[in-house]
Amino acid sequence: MFKYILKKEFLLISRDIHALLVLFIMPTVFILIMSLALKNTYSSSIDVKLNIALISEENKDITYLNKQLNKSSFFESSVIHKDNNSVDTDLKELIYGKKFDFIITISKDYKRKINKNKKDFNIQIYSKPDIQHQNYLMLKSLIVENISKQIMSDYFIKNKINAKTLATLNSKIKKSYVYKNEKFKIKPTSVQQSVPAWLVFSMFFILIPISNTFINEKALGTVSRIRSINVSFIPILLGKIIPYFIINQIQVILMILVGVFVVPLLGGDSLIINGNYFLIFCMSSAISFAAISFALFIANISKTTEEATSIGGVSNIILAALGGIMVPKFVMPEFMQDITQYSPMSWGLEGLLEILVRGGQFNDIKTYIVYLLLFAFCSLALAYILLIKKEKR
Amino acid sequence: MAIKINNLNKSYNNSKVLDNLSLEIKEGSIFGLLGPNGAGKTTLVSILNYLIPKNSGTIKIYGYDFEKDYKTIKSISSYIPQTYAFYPNLTAYENLEFFGALYGLKNAALKKRIQYCITATALEKFTHKRAATYSGGVKRRLNIAIGLLNSPKIIYLDEPTVGIDPQSRKYILNIIKEINQRDNITIVYTSHYMEEIEYICDEIAILDNHTIILQEKKDLLMKQNSFVEIKLADENLSIDVNNGYEELLEVLGQLKTNNRRIVDIDFGNKNLEHLFLSLTKGNLRD
Repeated sequence: MFKYILKKEFLLISRDIHALLVLFIMPTVFILIMSLALKNTYSSSIDVKLNIALISEENKDITYLNKQLNKSSFFESSVIHKDNNSVDTDLKELIYGKKFDFIITISKDYKRKINKNKKDFNIQIYSKPDIQHQNYLMLKSLIVENISKQIMSDYFIKNKINAKTLATLNSKIKKSYVYKNEKFKIKPTSVQQSVPAWLVFSMFFILIPISNTFINEKALGTVSRIRSINVSFIPILLGKIIPYFIINQIQVILMILVGVFVVPLLGGDSLIINGNYFLIFCMSSAISFAAISFALFIANISKTTEEATSIGGVSNIILAALGGIMVPKFVMPEFMQDITQYSPMSWGLEGLLEILVRGGQFNDIKTYIVYLLLFAFCSLALAYILLIKKEKR
Repeated sequence: MAIKINNLNKSYNNSKVLDNLSLEIKEGSIFGLLGPNGAGKTTLVSILNYLIPKNSGTIKIYGYDFEKDYKTIKSISSYIPQTYAFYPNLTAYENLEFFGALYGLKNAALKKRIQYCITATALEKFTHKRAATYSGGVKRRLNIAIGLLNSPKIIYLDEPTVGIDPQSRKYILNIIKEINQRDNITIVYTSHYMEEIEYICDEIAILDNHTIILQEKKDLLMKQNSFVEIKLADENLSIDVNNGYEELLEVLGQLKTNNRRIVDIDFGNKNLEHLFLSLTKGNLRD
């Protein structure tokens, strides 16, 4: 009997084109877009450098500054000679017409004025209002660093101080990651964050096909027909849970494959799986039970498929927004990070990140698994209570 | 007796739906259950199929106790709801396979029974097409086919011809008659269509005000309640011909004398409807 219950459920899902789109195409698209879009956020360089127009009269100090700015992985600078027209008139054209991200106006004798302790000079940076503040701060510190270097270099030459080591100071500052697991040394990339995030999101979207099937069964009288048959509740419930559990696991495999093989084809980083596969399965099983139980709860509080799709869709989006799916948790302010602790999607995501990014072991994910299973049992219990209540009515 | 109900009571929120209802249905009969909206037909059928619990009363199905022998009763009963209670995205065969498996059939026995149900309801042409593509009539036939899977002794048909064309309706009624005659299956048939009840049922009960107000063999009921409807241009006349045709002849004579034009005369086709409306007072029920 169970074979036919599973067969029925699989046939229904395989013929539901909307469900397939939501379960497989939507997360694939999200993973591709977000992995590529957030690539620079996680990287030490960026693909498209920010353009700088350095407006001044040419001299060797300006040339030096321009050269130093160009050494940065983030900026591409060119000098524009100042003519007699007002700079203000040209600003809009340079930013919106010639697509410069930053315009720096600086007087050519800035070094002389600094050396003489004169304060009547300005270095003005212009940009579009929507430019990221971090980029402005980075540019500002780069200017300060290079001007300071020029001044110090002049001073050392003048006083015959050998400071060659100081010139190489920058290269002496090295970055090293401290890994939780020494066998697991993976640099965090956008794809390491995007795959688990959108995978968890799409797993919770299992509620669309589950609630649609469940509500249609109620509306069409199929549930009444099944209840009039001498069949126990357990195989029917398992017949609902197991196929969707398998579909969730297929989602896990496919989305990991997208991260490993498809994202690099489009220029993104490849997903590196060094974590324990069994732990990934444990985590994805817990997420799956939580998602399916939540779907059964939504199916029981909704009267129509439209209602289930709206309530389920909106709740999923809210849980995703709160859970660090849409915006990575580490960019959130502290109070928002505290709130994420209450979203089951966050438990799922943190558990997967623990395995995929930090090489965590069972001890590191057990709390998330317990939370997800508790959420699943509560949702299932509520769904059952609602079902019994409705039947009594 | 196929069904024996004594003093059945059911209330929802202190409002009575079935009030001391007693009913007996003979084995192998097609039993028509009539009643206005809200009379309690669906509640009665739902109780008999364990979909809702009763408050009190005793029920015996083929001699089995309703509470103690519920497994046996479920295995010999089949409920065919008014709705298309199957999966529209599955084919007829896949639907039959699924429901057949729920009835505990497997392998060769399942295949054999599916074939029987397909033949009995003339679904051969539609076996491997998705149910969503069927016409209303074919969907109704699939609904019935699923109900035959467990080789039931008793079938509850809840308004099985709603929303289909007259040809399909006639076809389905004949299928039901055939099933009843060939396998001696007891059929409990609820409908709003009086002519259907007249056409297929052996015995009729009218349910109103939460209880059975009339139960009689159809033939006897028809004989006792013969009317002739005379339709005039501006009014309808209904003549009781249970005690002979004298009154009818007299009325026809008067109409001729007064030069009244007769538009149509209906001999007996509305008998059951007449009886139903007179017994249920003809009031609109919401």
